[in-house]
Amino acid sequence: MNGFVNWMAGTPWSIALHESLYMYSITESAHVMAIMLFVGTIMMVDLRLLGVSYRNTPVSEMTNRILPWTVGGFVVLCITGVMLFYAIPIRTWHSIWFRIKFVLLVVGMINITWFTFKVERDKEKWDLGPTPRNARISAGISLFVWTFVIVFGRLIAYNWTDCDQNQSHFIQQIEDCKAVPADT
Amino acid sequence: MSLYHIAQGIEGSPVGQAIRESTWLFPAIEVIHLLCLAVLGGSVLMTALGIFGVGLKTTSPQQVEVSARPYMTTSLIGILVTGLLLGASEPVKLIDREAFLIKMVSLALALLFTYFVFNPIVRKGEVGVKARTAAGVVMALWFTVAISGRWIGFS
Repeated sequence: MNGFVNWMAGTPWSIALHESLYMYSITESAHVMAIMLFVGTIMMVDLRLLGVSYRNTPVSEMTNRILPWTVGGFVVLCITGVMLFYAIPIRTWHSIWFRIKFVLLVVGMINITWFTFKVERDKEKWDLGPTPRNARISAGISLFVWTFVIVFGRLIAYNWTDCDQNQSHFIQQIEDCKAVPADT
Repeated sequence: MSLYHIAQGIEGSPVGQAIRESTWLFPAIEVIHLLCLAVLGGSVLMTALGIFGVGLKTTSPQQVEVSARPYMTTSLIGILVTGLLLGASEPVKLIDREAFLIKMVSLALALLFTYFVFNPIVRKGEVGVKARTAAGVVMALWFTVAISGRWIGFS
């Protein structure tokens, strides 16, 4: 992966995207808009599953009518996210915040898979009544994970943990600073 | 006293100084600002999608708005408070930026339109062309606020 990001950083399109006046900003703005769509809607579904809000709306109505928008937001987030990584590959790959964010993303995906293939299978039984424990656990994980994906994603932008900022041994280990090419 | 002098005053205040000089304070406030934006997006979209007929169906937009309201109000308060703190840390730089001006104007319009036009229309239970137009305007205004806000960082 270290070799891969080093190669990526040298590709003409990566340099062009990073240095472009508008393309990078547009991509990042689209990423923020898609956060509003994805996290905004998934939180509302989670709040329903937790029994906090939208209590008179059937769970199936929330998953059938709202989650397609959530998925749409996620697709845009993935495309723009890959573009943002592609524009600044080495720095992003070694960022401790990016690494934590990526782990949380994986947890979030596992949670969604668990919910889709297991938890909501028998939802007709609790469509309007109180939601079972597993559904509430899944909703809680979702709220936690996506909140902190935003937190750590936002922190990638700041340079205080960059490898060239004289970091502690601990951070250097996590960020694998030794593998950063000398000329970056 | 000019706008520039006021900005200088705010920038020199203890709050402005503390945020500007701290390493983690600005990012921490920025993170909360962004989280509130996501919640605002969700609460506006739930009602607006319902009005467009592409959101909840068995629950009317009127009922959706009741559920979404506390999230809209809370996230807006969060956005305004964190926004004021972020602005206080570098007002002299901000007042010259076009993106900041656009954001402040669209923010004022979005707040006024949401609370004095859109919410009353939804609460009356309207779902026709008038409600759809209002939902379109409300979404366009908040998206302008979000985009121009992000653009402040680039300009």
